[in-house]
Amino acid sequence: MPFSLSQPSRSRNPAPSKPGPHSSQPGFNSVSKYFMSARGRCPQSQHVEEAGVFPEGHTGCSAREPRQHLSPSQSRLTGALPAQDSGSSPAARWPPCSGGAGGEPTRVPSPPPPGVAGGAGGGNDFQWCFSQVKGAIDEDVAEADIISTVEFNYSGDLLATGDKGGRVVIFQREQENKSRPHSRGEYNVYSTFQSHEPEFDYLKSLEIEEKINKIRWLPQQNAAHFLLSTNDKTIKLWKISERDKRAEGYNLKDEDGRLRDPFRITALRVPILKPMDLMVEASPRRIFANAHTYHINSISVNSDHETYLSADDLRINLWHLEITDRSFNIVDIKPANMEELTEVITAAEFHPHHCNVFVYSSSKGTIRLCDMRSSALCDRHSKFFEEPEDPSSRSFFSEIISSISDVKFSHSGRYMMTRDYLSVKVWDLNMENRPVETYQVHEYLRSKLCSLYENDCIFDKFECCWNGSDSAIMTGSYNNFFRMFDRNTRRDITLEASRESSKPRAILKPRKVCTGGKRKKDEISVDSLDFNKKILHTAWHPTENIIAVAATNNLYIFQDKIN
Amino acid sequence: MLGRGLKRKLSDYEENMAGLSSAFDSSRNLTYPLKRQLVLNMCLTKLQTYKMLVEPDLHRSVLIANTVRQIQEEMRQETSQQPVNVCNGLGLHSQNYTGVDSAGISAQLLSGVNQQESNCCDSRSAEEPIENGLLMVSDDDMSSAISSILKDLDFMEDISPPTCLVPAGDDQPKSPENVGLKLEDDRQELKGAECVFGSFEISNSTSYLKDLAIDDIFEDIDTSMYDSDFCCPPQMPSRVPSATTEETLKTFPTCNSSSTNSIQICRTDLSELDHIMEILVGS
Repeated sequence: MPFSLSQPSRSRNPAPSKPGPHSSQPGFNSVSKYFMSARGRCPQSQHVEEAGVFPEGHTGCSAREPRQHLSPSQSRLTGALPAQDSGSSPAARWPPCSGGAGGEPTRVPSPPPPGVAGGAGGGNDFQWCFSQVKGAIDEDVAEADIISTVEFNYSGDLLATGDKGGRVVIFQREQENKSRPHSRGEYNVYSTFQSHEPEFDYLKSLEIEEKINKIRWLPQQNAAHFLLSTNDKTIKLWKISERDKRAEGYNLKDEDGRLRDPFRITALRVPILKPMDLMVEASPRRIFANAHTYHINSISVNSDHETYLSADDLRINLWHLEITDRSFNIVDIKPANMEELTEVITAAEFHPHHCNVFVYSSSKGTIRLCDMRSSALCDRHSKFFEEPEDPSSRSFFSEIISSISDVKFSHSGRYMMTRDYLSVKVWDLNMENRPVETYQVHEYLRSKLCSLYENDCIFDKFECCWNGSDSAIMTGSYNNFFRMFDRNTRRDITLEASRESSKPRAILKPRKVCTGGKRKKDEISVDSLDFNKKILHTAWHPTENIIAVAATNNLYIFQDKIN
Repeated sequence: MLGRGLKRKLSDYEENMAGLSSAFDSSRNLTYPLKRQLVLNMCLTKLQTYKMLVEPDLHRSVLIANTVRQIQEEMRQETSQQPVNVCNGLGLHSQNYTGVDSAGISAQLLSGVNQQESNCCDSRSAEEPIENGLLMVSDDDMSSAISSILKDLDFMEDISPPTCLVPAGDDQPKSPENVGLKLEDDRQELKGAECVFGSFEISNSTSYLKDLAIDDIFEDIDTSMYDSDFCCPPQMPSRVPSATTEETLKTFPTCNSSSTNSIQICRTDLSELDHIMEILVGS
């Protein structure tokens, strides 16, 4: 390849923080009270430290240590959560997580440290509560307003959404208000622009949708922000910059913009910069087009911050951010005879630290890890991840529901997570034959697969995301439900993004789906689920407990409540 | 009138399918072969619907085609394990399909349907409503799906049209024999399901250009004199092309009529226009 990728991979956040594997979370100690691991748990080994703060220079425990390092202050959380009052609204009382592959027989069942949702009471726990909702309220949803992607930037200060109408809306977090310490910064609209327009392919006589499939931020290197947005065919690099000054006193132009006759100029002056209202401009800096025959489903920025990949159904291309007229094809699974096609690429991502490693998932439920150093065309994978099929759960739809809709590396780079129709699986990159953890998202749908196939819901592509410390994962479901799983406590919670629970700082009530038998109060039966209300796109702030959930045309932002 | 009839049939079909799929899910009254048949019908209908779209989703089509293949494989294994299937009224068909071991998709599907019919004749009374729904669905829609798939088979090939002509799906009880014989070509095995993938290609082959050119450039060419000159060959089977719903990707204006010799005309138009294109392109 003409450009070299031999630069050492830089950490994702070139923020002023100490080096080491945990430096990707800037201000590790200063905002530690917002962390999932706020009780001083080493994200790598879950080793719990007292006093909530790791000593300076702690870069992580080298091995997974058993849980016995609980500090005395944690011991009161041991055991079951306090029984809840029958009258009050149930706050986060979790059933133990169902499912879960064999994984860690040595794990000692630990008390619930402040994980995904807190317990009732206890000063150190937290609960999810409503923060904001963006979008129109009325029932009639315009197709163009349906949100199709959500992404925080590296610092979490900016939140970008793309919709089916080709627009990108960026929200910026307001500075924290000293007078209101309990509410952290709100997200307000920072910039809106039309990223992609509908196009017409004259050769094939078909329209190219303007729907934004993915947005990926670039790490910030100067005052401006850069992001990549893509539709089915074209990727664009956008620069979002602020302008708060303008120049006055040009020599060749009048104040109203008319050109002055050069011969009439008798004196020169230096233009003066004057402040003006803040204006946020978005301009397309690069357009990467005409490299994909099929529909682009993923883009991923490399850790070298110079290259990125784009993946469609059959091919993956590698781009350099500066070069728009060339891209390198690094994976091609198109068979010579299209009739032999049995598998397509569904998602692809670069490793967060190793700039030569990427993975791609397939419609057959497999993940291939490729090393670009091995050959120019990475058709042969370095690692192949596949879980053997469980013969007892085989059905006509087994293959369809095994198709992976999203793959995400953990921030640490040690694990990756895949989402198929009914479950989320966490894989250790060193173990190819099965995942280390499996979480059932909505197992109750397994008995409804034929109906879901008939109404095409079985093809819905749900995304998944990690929290900043990789201790929890989140994914969406139907009826505007979304699920969160704490990997340490194995507890899970179902929450709903709805207007009903949209009062400021209202605590979200856990939801439960009744799978059979008598339906308890507050439970919802499987047949009453609204399959048109699906949460496909979610995002987790890179360092704090703030989540953004896209429910059709509305964007919900939830935060943890500080007690 | 044909259009209206078709619409009504589709909505009935959809109602049928909704009822059937919930019956499938609740696992009542449906035996495994019936469930399999239902899924197969749904898959074929979906593939058919996707072909009508201007740009079908490759991911979904692959998944559905794999499901069809899997079911077909299962059915094939079953039929190869059952050498003789004795049934009162339909003995003719059973003998015919068992003899075919390399038949294409339509033969298997047809035999599957025949199998269903033969299996069900005994227990028909008990499960009549659901099965009637299934069979009613499968007869007409499978046949139209099959005929559309095979039509596409024809058009997919750049060389001269295949010598064998497949009889209309409606006639299936009468001529499974023909089907079995004529679809011996291994190359055409499973081609029905996968032929959808050909349409995903941007190809620079002349056949592609040919099709496109015909659509746009030759639309205003008056071919009426050609229409009247071609007499209907007596051997031509009465095939009802449900052309209003199929083959929009390779549609010729003259083929949309429901005349029985429309396919013949299309093919001749194809070769004529092929000539014209070659002259124009200078190849």
